Amino acid sequence: MKPALRVGIFVAAILSALSSFGGARHFTFLYEANTSAPGSLELENWVTWRHATGPGRFDQVDFRHELEYGVTDKLQASIYLADWFYKSVPEHSGSTYSDTAIELIYNLTNPVVDPVGVSIYGELRAGDRLIELESKLITQKNFGPLILAYNATLESVWEGRDLDEREGEFSQALGASYEISPRISAGIELLHEFVFPEWRDTEKIRNFFVGPNVTYRRGNWFVTITALAQATDTQDEPDFQLRTIFGMGL
Amino acid sequence: MKKVSIFVVLACLLVSCESTNYVPPVTSQMATARKGQHAGLPMLREGRTLFVHRCIECHTLPVLWRYSTEDWPGIVDSMSHRASLKPAEREAIVAYILAVRTRED
Repeated sequence: MKPALRVGIFVAAILSALSSFGGARHFTFLYEANTSAPGSLELENWVTWRHATGPGRFDQVDFRHELEYGVTDKLQASIYLADWFYKSVPEHSGSTYSDTAIELIYNLTNPVVDPVGVSIYGELRAGDRLIELESKLITQKNFGPLILAYNATLESVWEGRDLDEREGEFSQALGASYEISPRISAGIELLHEFVFPEWRDTEKIRNFFVGPNVTYRRGNWFVTITALAQATDTQDEPDFQLRTIFGMGL
Repeated sequence: MKKVSIFVVLACLLVSCESTNYVPPVTSQMATARKGQHAGLPMLREGRTLFVHRCIECHTLPVLWRYSTEDWPGIVDSMSHRASLKPAEREAIVAYILAVRTRED
């Protein structure tokens, strides 16, 4: 047996032995209040397809590769190894590296035994033409097989060659997920965005998206898919978004 | 009137869901209810805490009487690895579930 193959089998055996699962997501455009078990490590791959029609038509596929680690019972840390996208417009198409990010989530209360489960979230994204700070309040309540979640998010973005283009965004998202069976959940997600170019509200940009989600989980992996359609009529925003998150315990 | 009716129906649905979600707090009766089993109050309290934190990472909590007392240890065991449960933590969760079941039986 070749040495490289031996090493590969050994590493696979070790990872398999260590394997634990950070948890399955029920939503893709919302976060849930519970955090990963301490010591658990999980790889989550995000793929988001955005499609816009009309004069500014485009197709864009965003990729995120997240390593999620449970630090304590209450604290979860993630690193997004590389955020990149493929964009196709009538004139050209191509893929571009965007940024690398870190994220922390701290859980305050539990969604089952406390009146409301609450967590706070912070994320820093940095690339050669992008810096973004994102903070989030995550709330969740479990009613038996039904999960209700609400996120309020505030983002500050600096982008461009000299990071001189500023934008702020406030968004709120509401989701419901019902556990049909131990392996399958289905529900709905709503996303309401308020965009502030140059931190001003002169353009009154409001976007509203709504659509269904479904989750399938088995063993130490899960896949969750959400399809959102734009209910408003904002030209530069996608008419349709499809996000898939595939997660597996390492 | 129609809106009020819808609200009342939704509220009843949520309340009924909430009642099936009952994860009772640990009482001293639970520690003494299980004949032949040794589970002290600290262990039962830890079991409840772990049950409501770790298990919801993947799924909602099932009603405890959905499965028999004979089935619960195997069910928890089958998921303990992916939930990163140490053997003592797994035992605490099983002890809590069985203590609740024993009290209700």
